[in-house]
Amino acid sequence: MIKIKVSVNGLEYERDVAEHRTLLHFIRDDLGLSGTKEGCGMGECGACTVFLNGKVVNACLVLAAEADGASIETIEGQAGSFGLSDIQKAFEKNHAVQCGFCTPGMVMSVKELLRHNGKPTPEAIKEAIEGNFCRCTGYTQIIEAVLDLTGQGDLKGELKHV
Amino acid sequence: MLYEFRYRAPKTASEMIRLLDDHRDDGKILAGGTDLLPNIRDGNIRPAVVIDAKKIQSADSIAWSASEGLVMGNAVTINDVLRCREAWELFPVLCDCARQLASHQIRNRATVAGNVVNASPCADMAPALLCLDAFAVLESASGTRQVPFSEFFTGVKHTVLKAGEFLEKIIIPASAAGARGYYLKLKRIAGHDLGIIGVLMVRRNNGIRFGVSSAAPTPVLVDGMLDKDGVDAAIVKVLAAIKPIDDIRASGEYRAFMASTYIRRLWQEIK
Repeated sequence: MIKIKVSVNGLEYERDVAEHRTLLHFIRDDLGLSGTKEGCGMGECGACTVFLNGKVVNACLVLAAEADGASIETIEGQAGSFGLSDIQKAFEKNHAVQCGFCTPGMVMSVKELLRHNGKPTPEAIKEAIEGNFCRCTGYTQIIEAVLDLTGQGDLKGELKHV
Repeated sequence: MLYEFRYRAPKTASEMIRLLDDHRDDGKILAGGTDLLPNIRDGNIRPAVVIDAKKIQSADSIAWSASEGLVMGNAVTINDVLRCREAWELFPVLCDCARQLASHQIRNRATVAGNVVNASPCADMAPALLCLDAFAVLESASGTRQVPFSEFFTGVKHTVLKAGEFLEKIIIPASAAGARGYYLKLKRIAGHDLGIIGVLMVRRNNGIRFGVSSAAPTPVLVDGMLDKDGVDAAIVKVLAAIKPIDDIRASGEYRAFMASTYIRRLWQEIK
């Protein structure tokens, strides 16, 4: 066991964790924040995407021990006292959510994209979410949600729905 | 779920060397973790101690100087390279290879050092490091040595690294600055995937070289070509240097065919 101190969604936690525990299992099972999902557990699907010190990572590929001293942001930290975040609202409005399993990770990846690029092209959006698998929507609605949110709703018609 | 191991995070290179010395047989270095942790999870490797290389002071530093070149500590991630202005301006082919490696989340964790130490034939950073005459600085209890990447890879998943030794930094010499080129990587899907074949063409001082991934037991460097040799001679030379295999992603024949197709395209594009 090893003692770690982390900030998750602005709250400080100090916990003993097993040295081989992943950050994902720490977040889900030790902190009870089950919004972050485990899909493949191999860094392929992106369902476990969280912010670690301001950058998105696959929480399944990080040890909790490595995150000692880090600042972490999960899907639970997105909605504020005035309701859902803008990205979440755009996902809801554009039907970018079906089963919802990929959504927490998708929202994180989109958030990182929009921090660096306020008007991403459909190509840039696809590249930003290439590490996030969705098996329901066919991705189009997710891309449309981002276009809508960034004032590019007129581009939505150009995307093919599959 | 991972099986039980111990985690150590040395703060200095000497502490790292001591730990590696103590765990020559049962220790494994953790850099970005994007290969190590899936391998542990799959049971391919079972280290008793995982030694984190990222907490060593200045391991995450990427710095350019005209005297030393581009110096990358062993914790420098792929996206650190892509965020480095000098890397884009002076070593655009390094960034070309970096851009095509895995997904954004992985690029935020995966390190350049880990990519080469893993020594996968499909390592995307290797073609650039080979073509740019980069070298690795290796540290161990017996001292420091420098190994050019042209001598670094010894086989599938094997390098010149000895037990108790670790890659401290990667240096791209200033003399390689300004090299132009492009990396074409063939994948099964448009999204992130391991390469079926990857070909980097680089022009330096009028000489032409190719770095090829996923085409032999190790990433391959083919150099010493000139414009006047012509593209057909270049294809013959590269095909003679590679040894593509049949596997789950493609046949060897297809790999060789696409390698020559990519060489032809690059030869026309990179003037």
